[in-house]
Order: sequence, then structure tokens, then C-alpha cells
Amino acid sequence: MALILEVQDLVKQYPGAAEPAVNGVSFGIRRGEVFSLLGPNGAGKTTTIGMLSCLLKPTGGDAIVDGHSVRTDPEAVKRLIGIVPQDIALYPSLSARENLRFWGWMYGLGGKDLARRIDAILETVGLTDRGNDRVDSYSGGMKRRINIAAGLLHEPKLVFLDEPTVGIDPQSRRNILEMVKALNAQGMTVLYTTHYMEEAQELSQRIGIIDNGKLIALGTLDELTRLVGRQDEIELKIASEHAGPELAEALGKVKGVRSARSEDHTVRLVADDANASLPEVIGVANARGIKVIGIDVREPNLEAVFLHLTGRALRD
Amino acid sequence: MNKILAIAFKDNFVRFSSPGEWLFFLVLPVIFSVVIGLATGAQTDSRIALLVVDQDGGELARDLIDVLQDSKTVAVREYLLSEAEEKFRERQAPAMLVIPAGLAEAQAGGEEVELQFTEAAGNVDAVAARQAVQAALGSLGRALQAAGVSLTAAAEIRPFADQAARDAFFQDGKDKAAALFADQPERILVTGPAQKAEEDFWRPNTQASAGTIVTWVFIPLLAISEFFALERQLGTLRRMLSAPVSKAVYLLGTITGQLGTALLQMLILAGFGTLLLGVSWWHDLAATLTIFLAFGLASVAFGTMLGTFVKTQGQASGLSLALGMSMALLGGCWYPLELFPEFVQKAVLVLPTTWAMMGMNDIVLRGQGLAAVLPEAGALLGFAVVFFTVGVLRFRYE
Repeated sequence: MALILEVQDLVKQYPGAAEPAVNGVSFGIRRGEVFSLLGPNGAGKTTTIGMLSCLLKPTGGDAIVDGHSVRTDPEAVKRLIGIVPQDIALYPSLSARENLRFWGWMYGLGGKDLARRIDAILETVGLTDRGNDRVDSYSGGMKRRINIAAGLLHEPKLVFLDEPTVGIDPQSRRNILEMVKALNAQGMTVLYTTHYMEEAQELSQRIGIIDNGKLIALGTLDELTRLVGRQDEIELKIASEHAGPELAEALGKVKGVRSARSEDHTVRLVADDANASLPEVIGVANARGIKVIGIDVREPNLEAVFLHLTGRALRD
Repeated sequence: MNKILAIAFKDNFVRFSSPGEWLFFLVLPVIFSVVIGLATGAQTDSRIALLVVDQDGGELARDLIDVLQDSKTVAVREYLLSEAEEKFRERQAPAMLVIPAGLAEAQAGGEEVELQFTEAAGNVDAVAARQAVQAALGSLGRALQAAGVSLTAAAEIRPFADQAARDAFFQDGKDKAAALFADQPERILVTGPAQKAEEDFWRPNTQASAGTIVTWVFIPLLAISEFFALERQLGTLRRMLSAPVSKAVYLLGTITGQLGTALLQMLILAGFGTLLLGVSWWHDLAATLTIFLAFGLASVAFGTMLGTFVKTQGQASGLSLALGMSMALLGGCWYPLELFPEFVQKAVLVLPTTWAMMGMNDIVLRGQGLAAVLPEAGALLGFAVVFFTVGVLRFRYE
């Protein structure tokens, strides 16, 4: 599939900084996909977005948006992209409609077309009824939704969502994730930055993992988890504290179980395939008369991938 | 252009969405100019009050009163005799002129009429008022004399049909003579080096009006730095510059909005100065608009430059107020510069507020026009160029 964005060895070195904030990042985004850039705070996600949206001049490399270079043709790039910044970049004393009208003007929209788009986008973000209220009277989640609406009003080909769920309640977060999915279903290409691996897993067709300014891994969720090998974690809660060591020893001999250890009322196993091993694991416990009161299975995820690649947890 | 206007409109919409902004835009400046003006003795008319009693009521008496009204020395206050005498006793005016009945008839008959002029003893203003009355009588007398000569000559050529025709000819001759005397070239007598009288640099009403305009327009224009800081804090500047909006369009929009509002504010405050303090801002509109525009540009450029040095809205607000107040004080907005030591007067020429006050005083204090304010306007535009250059070069979106 054709690339709408091609990032080529992008570098950003801030004056006075010892290390580049972004150091040789390269990736491509296909038309119509959601691509997540996952990394901890300070990894270089926002700096990358800053260069892709022509706010920061790259120190090295380039990025091509639909055939236009961010270095040599930034005005054309700006017309193609939409930005949803991490902060609520709205005027609090203006209403949502007034904010949207202003941002529409900034993209050269006007008249009935702008009015139609404002009505439509308010409908999309579910704020038609509150459109005439001042933004400073909104909840955090509502502000986030209008913040997104302002970035989508001009119907960009490629939208950058820079950590749009930071600091909001679970329900608003869910609304935003559903909105991103709906927009993607309509054909919009999305570059989504986040430090929440769950969001990246849920939304993205492909994920780039960034750390210390470098892209350390890139691929689909399956491709990335394969990097750490397919090992599941099984956690058994047992009724008897004293039976733990005995059970762990027995379960360590089950086929496909790589390791087993006990801790209080819990026995933790690492298995090649939890689904395949689980019946025999339960059978071993029953045979010893040990009552299992809970089972938790964890498949490998991006947290494990990040840990595998950097030796640190994603939220460190 | 649409984007520039949209940014200008939005900025003012945001600015005036706070009710407190109206207080600083209009209410407080008007209150301050009136309070300062009155506290320092401002009068709407600085001429010497002359009580006039017109017992004749004829055309000639009216002519005399009109001539006195046009005087730069006295301000005519017409009353009945009893009222005028009471006010004179209460020392509300240093002089009183009574025009007796029968003035017109006496003049027609060629008789002498005695006007009654009463003045407060030992009062300099009364002496000046007496001289003004004498000057008015002289002016009117010359017109009467010319009309009389003209009438005699005309009657010799062709007698008048009746008395009405004669009166009409005389009246017409008198009006023409008066007009010609009024339009005569100024006589200039150079007697020595010009000495600056106090009234050349200080009148409470002009000081209050010009000082208020400079102070209360300068501070909000410096506060344009708050806009830049606020936009950075909100993240809207980042969003704006990631839209197809260049740095130049953004700056022009913000500057246009605040400059336009400042010009409107200056015109409104000048209007209040005229209405409440009797200050003449409008005798040369081009001069007033030129100095307002040049001052506005210099101030908004200074604010733009300031905006590149501050990080937060709070810093910008505090700095704008502190710099604005001190530059207004040192620029002579609250006290005439001539009251400052000479070295201070020279040092404060580095401030735009000083040049703004000098230019405005040329207009309202000395009654001068466009040519007189061009040097001050030029200096202010020079400030604008320097400040804008520094501001644009230093401008960053975060």
C-alpha cells in the first residue's frame, strides 16, 4: 500500500542538549492505517510530531507527506495534516463553536461550508448541545473532544494525535478511542502517539516503539511480540498457603511449562502456550487435592516487548 | 488578509470577554483624566471670566459681545445686572462690563456713549480683561468708522431711497469691514529670544488628557506580550503555526488587532478630553491621527519585543505594568517634563512615552499642526522599527 508519510532518518538536536531528542528515526505510514508511536515520556514522540507538523526544523533527515517535504514545502504539508496537540489548545473564554470557527478560518475555510463542517464535527464528538457554551465550562473529557474536533475540521488526509488521552477519566478515554476507530473506519490515516501500550495495541495496525530518541522496534503487534518469544504467564491462586512450593515443583514438570515459582497463595508459571498447558496444570493441582480458587492468564504484550528491548518498564 | 483579520478579531474577542477589560479600556482612563484634571485645577475654559450685562439688547451691543466672545483673553458670562453685581461681589470674576440702553440710537446720532467697566482692584486678570474690552471696542470701532465713511461716500454718489436702505448699507459695510479686519495678516514683531512661559509647557487639562491617553494606551499595548505568552501557555500558538499560518501572518494579526483597538481607545479618550476638559485635539486631525498612529506602532512593537523575553502570562502582566507605569512617569505623562532636572529631561528621550507626550503637547498645548509633530512621529516610528526587528527576530513559538 502506498505511503502517505515517509520519515527518513529524522534528527533533532536542541541547542545545548548533550544528546539529540530524536536520533535517526525512520518509518512510513500507509494510507488509511492507524500507526502508533509508543514510548515513555521524554522518548522523543512530541519532538517527532513537532518536526512532522513543520513546527520544528529537523537537524537532519526529512519527512515526506503525500509527496511534500517538511523541509522544503512546509506550507503544502500543513494543508494536508491535522494536529491534535497534547495540550488543550483552545481559547477557554470562547465557545466550542467560536473556537472551531476560528480554527476553520486558519485553514482558509469560511461561509456555509465552514458552518456545515462545524455542525458535523460537533455531532461526531457528541457535543452539539454544548456547542455554544464556553470551553472553560467543559469537563476535561469534553475539552479533549473539542481539541480533537479542531484538528479534524478541515478534513486532513493525515492526522497527528499526540497523546490525546492524557489526564482524563476512563469513560472519556473510551469515547476518544472509539472516535479514533470510527475516523479510521472512514478512511482517515492516523499517527497516534502514546505511552499507554493498551491504546497502541487496541488502535493500531502497526506500532513503532521509540526510546531515547531512537526507533527501537517497528511492526504489527504480532511481529513485535514475536521479538520476545511466545511465552504466556499463568497465575494460579490457591486456597492453601503451604501447598504452594509443592505445587510449583510439580507444575514445573508439566510439558510446555518453562518455570514455576510460588509466593504466598500464588503460583506463577511461564508457559509456551497457556491454552495448551492449562488443562494439565489444573489436573496436577486436583490430583494433589490443592484447591485452585483463581486463574489469570497473561499473553505477551508491548510492555514485555519494551522490557525486553530496553531492560526498563514502559512507565519507568 | 482574512487570516490577519480573523486573528485580530479573535484576540479582541478573547480580550474583551473579560468584563474587567472594559474597566481598563475606558472607565478608569476617563475617571483618571477627569480626576487628575480637576485635582490639578483644569478648567474647560482657561480664559478670564468677564461678566457682561447687555441693557441695550441691540445689534451693536450684540456685535460687541460677539467680538469679546472671540477673544483669547476673556470668556463672556452674560447676566442681568443684579446677578452680575452679586457674582462680582463674590469675586467669581475680576471684571464686569455693563452696556447701557440706548447704545444703538446714540451711535446712529453720532453721540458718545459711556460703557461701564468695573474691575477688581489690584487684580492682574482684571487689567487683562480691561485691555481685552478696549481691544474689542477698538476692533468694533474701526469697523463702524469704515462703514460710516463708506456710507457717506455712497450717499454722495447716489442718495439712499429711505432710511431702511441706508441702515442696510451701513450694516453691510460694517460686517464687511469687520470681516476684513479679522482676516488681516498677522504682524510679527521680534523683540528678542523667545522665553518659555509656564503656560507653554503646562496646563492641567491638556496634561491630564494627553497623559491619560499615553499611560492608559501604552500599558495595554505592552500587554500584547501577554497574548504571546498566553498563546504559548495554551498551546494555541503551536496549533496556529502548524496550520497554514505563517509567523508573519500571526504577528500581523495580533498586532493589527491590538493597534486598531488602541487607536479607537485614543480617539475615544481624546473625545472625552475635549468634552470634559475642553482640550482641543481636532484643530488638525492629520496631526492628531499621525501622532496617535506613530505612538501606537511604537508601543505595540515594544510589547512584541517584550513578549519574546517573557515565559508566562504572569511575567508578562507584571512586567508590562511595571514598565508601563515607570515609562509613563518618566515620559512626562503625570508631570510636565520641564519640572524634571535637565539631565533627566535628556535621558528620558530614550523612551517612546517622552516623544509621544512631546508630540501630543504640540497639538493640545501649543495648538500646532502636522508639521510640528512630524519630528516626534518620526522618532516614534524609529522606535517601532527597532522594537519590531528585535521582536520578530527573537520570536519563537514555544
